[in-house]
Amino acid sequence: MLLIRVRERDPEQTLRDIFANWLKQGKIAALLLPAVSRTGVTAPALISDPGKMDRASPLLPVMAVNAAKAIAEIAATGSPDVKLGVVLRPCEMRAVVELSKLQQVARENLILIGVDCPGTYKPERVESEVRDFNEFVRSFLTDQNRFLDDKKFRTACQMCEFPVPLVYDLTIGYLGLDPLEHLLITSASETANLLLDGLEASLLSFQPKQRLEYLSRLTQTRRQNAETKIAELDRVALGPENLVRYFANCLNCHNCMKVCPVCYCRQCFFDSEVFEKELDDYVRNSRRKGLARMPAGTMLYHLTRMNHMMTSCVQCGICEESCPVGIGLSVLYKKVSRNAQAEFDYVSGRSLTEPLPLATFREDEFKKIGEE
Amino acid sequence: MDFEPRIIGFLCNWCTYAGADLAGTSRIQYPPNMRPIRVMCSGSVDSVYILRALLEGADGVFIGGCHPGDCHYVSGNYKTRRRMVLFNSIMRSLGLDQGRVLLRWISAAEGKKFADTVTEFTERLKKLGPNPFKNLWEV
Repeated sequence: MLLIRVRERDPEQTLRDIFANWLKQGKIAALLLPAVSRTGVTAPALISDPGKMDRASPLLPVMAVNAAKAIAEIAATGSPDVKLGVVLRPCEMRAVVELSKLQQVARENLILIGVDCPGTYKPERVESEVRDFNEFVRSFLTDQNRFLDDKKFRTACQMCEFPVPLVYDLTIGYLGLDPLEHLLITSASETANLLLDGLEASLLSFQPKQRLEYLSRLTQTRRQNAETKIAELDRVALGPENLVRYFANCLNCHNCMKVCPVCYCRQCFFDSEVFEKELDDYVRNSRRKGLARMPAGTMLYHLTRMNHMMTSCVQCGICEESCPVGIGLSVLYKKVSRNAQAEFDYVSGRSLTEPLPLATFREDEFKKIGEE
Repeated sequence: MDFEPRIIGFLCNWCTYAGADLAGTSRIQYPPNMRPIRVMCSGSVDSVYILRALLEGADGVFIGGCHPGDCHYVSGNYKTRRRMVLFNSIMRSLGLDQGRVLLRWISAAEGKKFADTVTEFTERLKKLGPNPFKNLWEV
């Protein structure tokens, strides 16, 4: 572990300088990280010109998309010589881990750089209000007690138990520290060590105590939030009728699938020919119950989607952000995926080697299933 | 009129379907409530088939596969088993777990077990009553 000194009390500028150097020295071909445009639009950007690094905002607490989705597009197939740095929040990192196990990203081309994340805002929440993003991030980073329970964070963030990355080549930490003074750098691979070569830093043999305490307080608060929100969900969404009501406004737009970082199929089953129905099919469908909702098949879509990807769901909640009718998917998926993963002692994105629950089996397990 | 449940059955070609055949050729009587669909392996029954049957109003879904270790494709039924664990967990989380889905291992030699299973499942569904999704047109 390394403790680096923040220059001029500007942690983001310190990081920008480091990143720009990696690009100048040719250590990486490009870097994917959050960026802010001159017009105040926030999005992940793939930066290859060190001179453009001023647009980067590595610690920006705004999340419009899960960057793992972008990585699945950029690095779907590998290339022998390219090293791509990717700066990711914990939920994005966990999605990349899942995608890597699903063989959807070329892990060997990626240098995984994880950053601490206490929560993120919807873009529309800040883009209209914030003039100076540098100042916005800086004041955000210094007011860490507010992170504990900021009700303006996205719903998924308010329930998130993963403020630090679990799998990485390199991490940049600031929670529980004074990020205007120091940043904590952890390296977990040779590739990362090469990047850090020549960096001015002091060596640290263990995590600072106040950081561990802060993280434990943060995760505890988030767990409580999750329990509260799940209890609220249970009051309104359980059982056939309630669940139908919960999804009642679904437009069948499939946005939740399109933005989902772990929904990896090139062609979704629900966008396939199987669901291209003709007049006769609709009439037959209507006759079954006497009347049929249009658009058809929304419930089948949601329930099947859960069966297909709940074991890999990283609970980033981007599905909910993309829902035009505001269906509360974050808390629903939080509950369903957590329970589903618990059945297999699995936590999505926890490890690169732990096999995907549905891609493995043991002979001596679940003996009761099929026998009762 | 008594409620007669409608069951959609997915029967593995190598074991349970042959077991059903044996029940028939052995002249074993069992309720006619199940519509069998022959599949090549219980492992090929994606959740979407089970869900579609339930959402469109089937009262129960039965999946029959080879006993663990006996899969014609070596490991298909082990995968069925895991998928079933996942399916059950999701249904429980959503308050939809009513015991309307049954997975059972029935070999080609177990005609009697097949007939007993259909009888037992039919009785269970009669007690449960009609699937609530049958009257929910807005799914």
